[in-house]
Amino acid sequence: MFYAPMSSRHSGFGETSNPLWSMPLPRWNPCFPLEFYEWLHATDFLCLQLVCECVLCCFSCVWEFEILPCDSEPAFGQMFSSSLAQSFLPEFISGDFDSIRPEVREYYAIKGCEIISTPDQDHTDFTKCLEVLQRKIEEKDLQVDMIVTLGGLAGRFDQIMASVSTLFQAPQITSLPVIIIQEESLVYLLQPGKHKLHVDTGMEGDWCGLIPVGQPCNQVTTTGLKWNLTHQTLSFGTLVSTSNAYDGSGVVAVETDRPLLWTMAVKL
Amino acid sequence: MEHAITPLEPLLPSGSLKYCLVILNQPLDKCFRHLWHKAHLKACADGGANRLYDVTEGERESFLPEFISGDFDSIRPEVREYYAIKGCEIISTPDQDHTDFTKCLEVLQRKIEEKDLQVDMIVTLGGLAGRFDQIMASVSTLFQAPQITSLPVIIIQEESLVYLLQPGKHKLHVDTGMEGDWCGLIPVGQPCNQVTTTGLKWNLTHQTLSFGTLVSTSNAYDGSGVVAVETDRPLLWTMAVKL
Repeated sequence: MFYAPMSSRHSGFGETSNPLWSMPLPRWNPCFPLEFYEWLHATDFLCLQLVCECVLCCFSCVWEFEILPCDSEPAFGQMFSSSLAQSFLPEFISGDFDSIRPEVREYYAIKGCEIISTPDQDHTDFTKCLEVLQRKIEEKDLQVDMIVTLGGLAGRFDQIMASVSTLFQAPQITSLPVIIIQEESLVYLLQPGKHKLHVDTGMEGDWCGLIPVGQPCNQVTTTGLKWNLTHQTLSFGTLVSTSNAYDGSGVVAVETDRPLLWTMAVKL
Repeated sequence: MEHAITPLEPLLPSGSLKYCLVILNQPLDKCFRHLWHKAHLKACADGGANRLYDVTEGERESFLPEFISGDFDSIRPEVREYYAIKGCEIISTPDQDHTDFTKCLEVLQRKIEEKDLQVDMIVTLGGLAGRFDQIMASVSTLFQAPQITSLPVIIIQEESLVYLLQPGKHKLHVDTGMEGDWCGLIPVGQPCNQVTTTGLKWNLTHQTLSFGTLVSTSNAYDGSGVVAVETDRPLLWTMAVKL
């Protein structure tokens, strides 16, 4: 989902010294998209990228706004009745099309959704969808701040890991932060550097964690957590931060020397 | 030295593999009944006891674990009481620096040694779905397992199995007939710089697997029934299970 900063509640900029991000970021909190539950006014363009077969209950609320949605070959047609489906037309559907049902593909093609074949077997549908999405964003000169992905964190274990792997590849595809949400979990990959995560939307659940998925992170320092780290190593086999919690300050700061996966509970 | 394993051997109806069973706090799959009756020792980690209790309604006495361990922040009081009355050992492991799963493996290993059990594998049910941090915690326990037990530890939930390959050579027998279509090699925790495989649809030859470079997912078998993997660092094997 892409959207410009829209509410006065989110005014103000929090800077990060992350060298990968060359401009100050809006006050960034991972639960940004979920606040649409409470929104009463339509806002700017949104793009919604669906990845997988599970659609969250928050989806129908999010879709109330003027949107520029796009799909990555989900079993989208299964989740909605035909009348509802007509209100939910993606900008595009991309993939190698080994999952999309023929009648689903035909329906969206007839409705004018772009069907983009990405047959490359060396990359997942998710990764390739991000590439197409980034191209669209540039072509349309969309001013957006984030890519929200629904699905990818449940089901086949190899595909859960593939979703995480796509997050590692995302910086080469787009400069936008990419988050993944499914059921009560959110994941977001923190690049090396300093990060400030605002966790005071009220939609945060109880748990959170820092997972050194791809490599040890040897210098990790945090504040704002129940169990903080100070220049410590996070590594599978040594220490992985799971079932962590917040200290109530509403902000979690994380400094890391290597890419580090942030995960948190979402109250849907 | 090459390590040989048939990951799905515990699921075979007439397998001779001797294993222990650990139940974590996730919905139990249909294979659990078969796995239960052939297991040499059964244990629940905290909320895993809730799952066992609920799914065995009407026949609970046929499904009594040897012990239930954990910090007990998940097990329901009536579940704990039931199993305590039935003679199951209730072992508190309050250490907050390790997960219930890790601590359960420690207790299990102690029991195996005390009873001098001759077993070949530890089979874990659950741990691969639900909260993302807890999925990662399950994988983290596999990294700690070699310091706890010399037995291979596998985790199965729904259609997925995971097993951590230690550095060295491995031969995975994938010809039980219960293998599903997909498999993968996931370099969780660190890059694996020298990975060579045979038996897969897409093999590797002295290649690097690393998040951000290459992760082997949606792989498949070449039909030979054996997958050989050589790795220089711990490498997570994952495969589909036909339950």
